[in-house]
This record gives sequence, C-alpha cells and structure tokens, in this order.
Amino acid sequence: MSKQIQDAYIVAAVRTPVGKAPRGMFRQVRPDDLLAHALRTALARTPSLDASAIDDVVVGCAIPEAEQGMNVARIALLLAGLPSSVAGVTVNRFCASGLQAVAMAADRIRLGEADVMIGAGTESMSLIPMGGHHIAFNEAVFRGDEHVGIAYGMGMTAEKVAERWKVSRDDQDAFAVESHRRALAATLEGAFAEEMAPYEIALHEPDLASREVIVKRRVVGHDEGPRDGTTMEALAKLRPAFAAKGSVTAGNSSQTSDGAGTVILASEAAVKRFGLTPLARFVGFAVAGVPPEIMGIGPIHAIPKVLKQTGVSQADLGWIELNEAFAAQSLAVMRELGLDPAIVNPLGGAIALGHPLGATGAIRTATLVHGLRRRRQKYGMVTMCVGTGMGAAGVFEAL
Amino acid sequence: MTSNDSRFIVRRVAVLGAGVMGAQIAAHLVNAGVPVLLFELPAKEGDPAGNAKRAIDGLAKLDPAPLADAALAAHIHPCHYDAHLDALVDCDLVIEAIAERMDWKRDLFIRVAPHLAPHAILASNTSGLSIEALAEALPNALRQRFCGIHFFNPPRYMHLVEIVPTAASDGAMLDALETFLTTSLGKGVIRAKDTPNFIANRVGVFSILAVFHHTQAFGLGFEEVDSLTGTRLGRPKSATYRTADVVGLDTLAHVIGTMERTLPDDPWHPHFRLPAWLQGLVERGQLGQKTRGGIFRKEGRDIHVLDPDTNAYRPASRDIDPAVAEILKVKDPAARFRALRESQHPQARFLWAVTRDMLHYCAHQLAAIADNARDLDLAVRWGFGWKEGPFELWQAAGWREVAGWIADDIAAGRTMAAVPLPAWVLASERTGVHAADGAWSPSAQTSRPRSTLPVYRRQPFPDAVLGESRTYGTTILETDAVRLWTTGDDIGVLSFKSKMHAIGEDVLDGVAQALDAAGRGLEGVVIWQTEPPFSVGANLSGPSAPRADKPKPSGFASMLKKVRREAESAILKAAHRLNVADALMAGRLEKVEGIVARFQETSQSLRYCPFPTVAAVDGMALGGGCEFLMHCDRTVATLESYIGLVEVGVGLVPGGGGCKEMAMRAAVDAKGGDLFAFLRRWFEAAATARVGRSAMEAREIGFLRPSDPIVMHRFELLHVAKAELRALSARGYRPPLPSDAIRVGGRTAAATFRAHLTNLLAGGHISEHDFLIATKLAHVMTGGDVEAGSLVDERWLLDLERETLVALLATERTQARIEHTLKTGKPLRN
Repeated sequence: MSKQIQDAYIVAAVRTPVGKAPRGMFRQVRPDDLLAHALRTALARTPSLDASAIDDVVVGCAIPEAEQGMNVARIALLLAGLPSSVAGVTVNRFCASGLQAVAMAADRIRLGEADVMIGAGTESMSLIPMGGHHIAFNEAVFRGDEHVGIAYGMGMTAEKVAERWKVSRDDQDAFAVESHRRALAATLEGAFAEEMAPYEIALHEPDLASREVIVKRRVVGHDEGPRDGTTMEALAKLRPAFAAKGSVTAGNSSQTSDGAGTVILASEAAVKRFGLTPLARFVGFAVAGVPPEIMGIGPIHAIPKVLKQTGVSQADLGWIELNEAFAAQSLAVMRELGLDPAIVNPLGGAIALGHPLGATGAIRTATLVHGLRRRRQKYGMVTMCVGTGMGAAGVFEAL
Repeated sequence: MTSNDSRFIVRRVAVLGAGVMGAQIAAHLVNAGVPVLLFELPAKEGDPAGNAKRAIDGLAKLDPAPLADAALAAHIHPCHYDAHLDALVDCDLVIEAIAERMDWKRDLFIRVAPHLAPHAILASNTSGLSIEALAEALPNALRQRFCGIHFFNPPRYMHLVEIVPTAASDGAMLDALETFLTTSLGKGVIRAKDTPNFIANRVGVFSILAVFHHTQAFGLGFEEVDSLTGTRLGRPKSATYRTADVVGLDTLAHVIGTMERTLPDDPWHPHFRLPAWLQGLVERGQLGQKTRGGIFRKEGRDIHVLDPDTNAYRPASRDIDPAVAEILKVKDPAARFRALRESQHPQARFLWAVTRDMLHYCAHQLAAIADNARDLDLAVRWGFGWKEGPFELWQAAGWREVAGWIADDIAAGRTMAAVPLPAWVLASERTGVHAADGAWSPSAQTSRPRSTLPVYRRQPFPDAVLGESRTYGTTILETDAVRLWTTGDDIGVLSFKSKMHAIGEDVLDGVAQALDAAGRGLEGVVIWQTEPPFSVGANLSGPSAPRADKPKPSGFASMLKKVRREAESAILKAAHRLNVADALMAGRLEKVEGIVARFQETSQSLRYCPFPTVAAVDGMALGGGCEFLMHCDRTVATLESYIGLVEVGVGLVPGGGGCKEMAMRAAVDAKGGDLFAFLRRWFEAAATARVGRSAMEAREIGFLRPSDPIVMHRFELLHVAKAELRALSARGYRPPLPSDAIRVGGRTAAATFRAHLTNLLAGGHISEHDFLIATKLAHVMTGGDVEAGSLVDERWLLDLERETLVALLATERTQARIEHTLKTGKPLRN
C-alpha cells in the first residue's frame, strides 16, 4: 500500500468533445481556449468550491509549444477566470500527460501538502503537428544501433509490436470496427453526457464579399471521430500507413485529435469544508519503461506494477480505459495480460473517439469516473502506452 | 476591333462548353495567366454552376496534366448560361467549344451575341463544321470578329492551333488573335481554309484511313501495322491503331462520318467510311481506352488485338520483319523508299502504299485546304506529332523520282483514287515545294515566304521546314562538344553538341573556353540549345562528342568499370595484392574527383564570371543540367521545362554545385528564421529525385527563382533570354559577391533527416543503399558534422559534396545503378 496521509477524491471530471485533426471542427480552435473552457466547466460543476482554495493546476500536454506552449496551464487558468493566486504547471509524458497530471495533482493532496488540486490535459494536433513545428534530433541517437528506436515513428513501433506479438491485420481491423461500433452506440445512448462540456466555436472569418469580419458561432457537444459504416470490408481496402508490407493502417490506428479534459481533486477535509460530492477516489498510479521501438507494450509492465502497488487485483477491475494508440498494441497488451475485451473500452476507444495526445489521460479519467458510477462498479483503470517506450496506468475507485 | 487597334489586350477569356476540350483550353489559358470564365449548361440539381465546377475538378484527374500548377484551377470561374451571361461583357475573347452540332452552336451564338463587348473576338473550336455556315447565325456586326480557332487534344501539349477565317473576318482581328495565341499561349498558329476538318485532321485522318485500307489489302495484323507506322516512320509511338484507341473509336467514327457527309466530291470519298470491323466495335461499345477495350485489349499482363476476320481477340504477337526493319533504318529517304518499293515483303509494300496514297492525297488537296506546302507540313507535324511533314518527306526523297513512282502507280490502278497528280507536281522545273525563299502555294501559283506578322520577329529560329536555313549565326568558337556563336549582336549563345546535351569532360572544357572567349568583348552568354532538351545532366558513359572517332575514357562509368574490374580481379588474385588494388582504386577515384571538381568550377564560373549568364531552358534539365541553370544569373524557361536534381536515381548526390546551391538557397530563404523548414523542402526534392512537371512546378520546388521568367512559346525562348541578358547588362552588371557566411543546419538537421529515413528503411519503403545515399545527401546539405547554425563558405559545401559523391561512386551498389541505367535507361533500386 502506498504511504499516503490522506486520500484524494475526484469531485468533478469533465472534458470537451474531441475533434478530428487536422481538418475537423476544432481545426482553428486554440488548445488554451479548449483548456480554459474545460476548467470553467469543471468549476461550474462545483459551485460551492472557493476557487482561491485551489493550490495548483497541473496540465498535461505532449507537444507544449506554440499555441499550447509558454506554460499553457498558467495561461489557460488565468483565461478561465481563476484567481491569480492559483498556480499552474505543464507536464509532459507524451500520451500519458493527462493521466500524469491527475496523478501529480492527487499526490500533492495525498502527501498532505494541498487540499484542492486540478489535474487536466489539452492538445491541439490540428495546430501543433505530431513532433511539433521544429523537430531537431540529437545525432547521438544514431551513433550506435542501440538508440535507433528513439527515432522510430509511433506507427513503426506498432508494426514491430504487431510482428512480435503476431497480431494479424484482420484482428486489428476487427478491433477497430468494434471500437467504432461501441463509440457510436455510446454516443447515441448519451453515455458521454455527464462528462461532456459542450464547446462554442466562434471563428472570425474574412467575408470577401462584404469586406467584413464575420464571426461564425456554433456549439458542438459530440465527438467527431466515430464513423458509421466502418466495416471490415471498408478497412480492408486501406493501405498500410507506415510499413510497405505492414498491417497497421490509418483505420486501425488512433485518430489524431483536438480536445481538453479537467479533473478537480480534493482532500476529505476540503470535501467537507466546501460541501463537495466525491465521485471517485484516486487509488494509485505507476509508470514503467520499455524499449522505445516497441513502446506500445508499455501497459504490459505498468498495469501489474500499479496493481501490485495499490493491492487491487486485475479481477477487481470492472472497467479499463486502455488507450487505443493502435489496435496492434492494444491487442498485444490485452492478450499478454489476459484482459477481458468486454470491460476494455466499453464505450469505444481512441481508434473511434480520437486521441488528443496529452489530453487523453484527463479525458478518459472523466469517462471512467462517470462510467463506473453509472454502472455501479467499483474499480477502474486508465492506462496507455507512451512514446519512446513507456507505459502508464492509474487506478480509480468509484464512490 | 478596328484595324486601328495596335494591341489586343486579353484581360479575360470566356470558354463556352466545359467538355474535354473546353475545360482543357480553359486550363491552358490559366497556365498562361489569363483568367477564364468557363460556361456550361446549368445543372438540374444542386449548385447551378455544378457542371462547370465538376469539369474544373476533373482537370486534376487527367493525364497528362492540363494545369501546369494545380492551384491555377482557382482562376477558372465556373459559370452557367442562365445566370452569368452578363459577365461576358468583360471578356476580350470568347471561345465556343460545345458539342459538334450546327444547330446547338447557332442557338448559343444567338444567345450570347447581345452580351459580348463591342471589341470582343468570338471564335469556334469546331473541328468539323463549316465556319462560314456558323457565321450565318451571327449578327452582321459580329461576323468580322468571328473565326474558327481549332485546338488539338491535349491543348496544353499539342503545339498546333488552326485559325480559320471566314470571308468576313477582319484581318487585323485575325492578326491580333494569332499574336495572342503565339506569345501568350505558346501555340503554333496555322491559317487554314474553311474546308471540312481543316488541314491537320484532313491529312491525319486520311492517313489513318489509308492505313486501314492497306492493312486489309496486305492482310496485316493491327499490332504489326502499329510497329511499322510508329517511331520507325517518325510518328508518335502509339502509331495508328493505338492512337485510335486512345482518341476513342466513336470520336474517330464521328470524324470519318463528317468527311463522308461533307466531302462528296473528294475523289477518295468511297474510302470515307468505317471498315466493318470498326463499325462492329463502335456498335458493341468497345470504344478503346475509355471502355478498356477496343482494337487492343489488356488480358492480365498480355495485350490482345482484334482479329478483324473473326471479331475475336488474339495475343498481339506479330512484329516487324527484320529485313523490313533494316530498310526503315536507311537514313537516305530516297534509298529507303526505293527499297520499300522493290521489296516483295507485304510489310514493305504496305509502307510504300500508305505513304504513296498519303502523298497523292496531300498533293491533290493542298490548293483547297491550305495556303501553301509549309502550312500543311507544319500543321501535320504540330497537330499529329510527325517528325517530318508529307511534303518534306517527299522532297527529301527526291521530288521527281517519287512523283514518277506515284504517277506509275496511279496509271497501274494501284492507288486508292485514280485522279492524276496535279500539274504543278509534275512541272518539269520542280524539284520540291520548300525553298529558302518560301513554300509553294498552288492556289496562288507562287512561292510564299513566312508571315511578316511582328510577333514572328520574336522567333529568331522558328521551327524550320526542309529547305529553310538551319544554320545558327556566326561561330565565335567551336569545339567537339560546344559552339559559341552570335546572331550579329554581342550576345554569345552557347550550344552543346553532345547527344541529349549531356555534360562530359569535353563539354566542361568547351564551356570554360567559351566563357574565356566571351570575356573578350561579349556582353554576356546565353546557354541555349538548338533543340530540347536543355541537358540530361552529367554524361555517365563516355565522351559526349557525337562524332569522336576515338572514345576517350572521360565518362564516369567507363572509369568506374575499370576501377571495379581492376579492384575485383585484384581481390580475387591474392590477399597480399589487395593493397595494390586499393592504391589503384584510390588513384582512379582521384581522377574522378578531378572531373567533379572541374564540374564545380564550371558551375561557379557561370555565376562569378564578370558578365551575365542566362540559361534558356526548354524540355529536360536534369542533374548537371539543372546545376548549370541554378548557377546562371537568370534562367528563362519554357512552360514545358522539366527540371530536377535526379542524381540519387543513379546512386549519387548532386556534385556540380547542386547541394551547395540547395543549402545556400535554404539559408537565404530562411532569412535567419527556421532553416530546417526550408532545408526539408529541398531535401525531399533531391532525395526523391523530384522533377517538376512544368516550369511552374520547378519554381515551386525552387529550381527557378521568382525572378526567373517563364516563356510560353518554345521558339520565343532565345528572344526572351537575350532580353533578360540585356536587362542585366543595362544595369551595369557585377557578378554577385561570394557567399562566405552560409548558415547551415549542421548535425542536428542531419540527424532529423536521418530519423525520418530510419522509419522509411524500417518500413521497407527504401533500401539500405537508398538510406545510405539519402543520409549522405543530408550530410552534405546540412554542412557536415558541425553544430547547427554554423557559418560556412561555398568552398566548404563544394568540398563536402565532391567528397561525398566520390565516396558513393566507390560503392558497388552505386556502380551497379549507373551501369544498369546506362544499359537499360531505367533506374535500378538496389
């Protein structure tokens, strides 16, 4: 068991809809605006909370530059209207950044150093491409063969995993079809309603006919990624996206996306003081490293590690949010650990719902917390693989 | 337009009809920088301009590309007749290109006429209808501004446009239109008489009918005939039957039908009908390429051909007889014809028969369809891609003898029509139709010089026909490989004599000598070739002089072969001799390095010599050719210039200053900002051996600078290049100051390229050797193993590219690539 002095409770968990990148609904929407909106919505869900009691805002972001650079956490919290006394820090563990932010926020409470914290994540893959605007490798990576995996693109690592764990193209495609099926069904039945922070897009566009700037507004409340008609036949037509003779395609990989999520955490004392409703208890979090060229198997090491650390058994888990970076690595992880497909991503995963890198951890924490409560399940997990070879896993207990 | 208008300014053009031709004509207009309104019928559903919009979108799917730059499509504005006719008032030229129906065209003219600007020209792109008959639908006032304007498909690439005046067409209007089509659109204009199918199609389609006729008469297979009537006759590779499949058998049937209907008095009229097999194909909807089957059909990997007797397909296996092939190789046309005529082989007799009947037809029809023999010959060359016009062929083979043979065959009843040759053909003093003073005009019974329209003063060396002078100015200096000459002014024109204008040691020598000579009193030097390409790059195989008696071992490959042979045999012989082989290898590579160094020096001297240098580019400018143009002060390129650094294809990196130039241009363009973004564009172009598919693409890649003009007309290239040179000179030319502080991407940029390449290699997209070449290329372009942002000079980069090129030459796989390319003309991926 962990050596904490008090528990951290999640009292609000919200997220924006997820847009497709780079040509989707949020293509011109700034990630700091998305984050500010998620922060405001989370605070609106806890009206009795005195915002000045928040100690720090930890924000995950995988490519923290340009529109999401300059310590996006601090900028967005000020834009969201939080008092200037509230601090903000941006953290980066690539695809686990959002979950890492939640864990770091929880840990400050668990250590007794803070009573109210925010863990969040934001990412615009439309405005900031994978790897950023200016990739600059260290030539030392290539001095020998041992570090060459650092240079591997994520797709190439998925190919390596597919090859080594013998995940067939058909299995990957079938997994992707199921992801879309679940996501569409969940969207239709309103399964994301509680976590959703609908976003008003306001675009300032030049109208060349009238010679005026017109502001186009619309409110979006649903994820853009799930695609009706995603069938085995349709996916079979796609060409390998990374290796000439590979099995990983755009259809069985996660979508590039834009979005943000926010989780407010409080100690028991703060819950009482502000009259908050605890939704879930943060149980624990672990990370593990693996060879960069097979980064997709990260959860194979992170999941047992966090289960051992928290004393929760795999069988206790009722719901696992396993980030579908690629169908290949998701299937490798599930098979290796014997995860029950029925409880993994019951509402669909990143192949359908999208994967806004550093935001995903916070977004899926919101999905998990509300989902566990809705289904009256106790333990759940958010886990993902991480670029350059890592895995991360967090355990939550619904209340 | 009145004849007082000295200059016809085309601000905007309307094209009526967004079919295959209309849309492509619109595309070529925007290629030339002319905004276009493209009209089509309103769509029944959705956006009423949807029909025109779809035609514009469809341009991107056509091959070869009608647009020189895909983004130009935005300047073709989709319109429809119900809403946008008012916009016609802003158009200076309106081209009608709707379906070939007299009633539809007349209705359209009546509808648009009230909307035209008073000065606007209206022209019909009909290929078969009578222009006079079309003009009858027009109000009187408009008739003088109306004529035919016949483009050939595909209009961007086919040089010919026939202008067909009516009796009422205003002369000044026709001159203005001809000037616009020539300089602005780059077309070769021929004035045709208003007879069915005009000039090129009349002769071209007759030629097809003659081939049909004699194929059957001699019992030959279609594939056999294509083998005979393609490049071996100086005609396009697709020859006769494949061309018919490509054009569309229904289209061909339509054109033949027009001839049958409109030419009842043509002595060959009985032949203006579809052969039964063609009728059958059209009826069955087997229309050629667009229906994936016609005369030829693909069955898996094999090509099958129609058997006209059974209407079934059989493997296309019949080929040309070796003896006949030998005859066709005979250079002297007289000897060739004689041999064909005397041969008993049906293939040879077929060839004589189709040639004879085609010449017979041209001679008979010349007076009716064209002003003179030059017009007919150029129309057929430009419209059908023949190397020689019919009369040129005849004259070259000996006018009288050929005339005699034809007359004999007419008398013997062997020809397709029994009419005698016209009297002018047989006139006793006649030795041909083309002479230095002009071309024979049977209708005027005199010789016609070339047009004196001012626009042709821009063509110092127009596309010559036989008998016209093909000498180029006065020689200043001539070597085995190059010639420096002038046209009496003080601008030196430097032309290469090597095959495909490849650059070997002898060309490098020649350029150096020419620049020396030019320094003694010339204003500057234009590199211009008398025919395309500009240059296919470094000569990999040997000496470039075409008539060198003793091949010198100057090319890279012959050098390399020796190097490798010597090295290999040494390795095989004994281990202790390896040192010797190594030394030998080193010695040889030093020599190669010496050649590369001279290449670099030549490029540098093009830039730093004390007078301006201008590269005038038409056609391919690859590898070393591209490096030369990048080092000239200006490049003037025709639209159809295909420019690229293709060295990686043969396993090398650009070594004539190309890598240095890319690194420098990236640094200049970055202006102190993110250098990598600029380097990456260059790296991608060079690493994929990308060749721009037009001068505009070359500008987009960066081979052409924004200040490098693009010329539409091939034969105006030298004129414009000289004007550019004079402009450079007029401002008091000084060579650029040397670049001695070039910011480079360094080891970080190289590593970033390498990361990308690592993924391509791991993904099986590139081979190990591709990876090696590309990482070496990155190494050179980023300035070597130095910190990012380091400042280097030109010599630093030149040394790097030279050393790297030589290191790659020493690899067996690069040697294999070069050898393979030399043998097969195709790249090897190893």
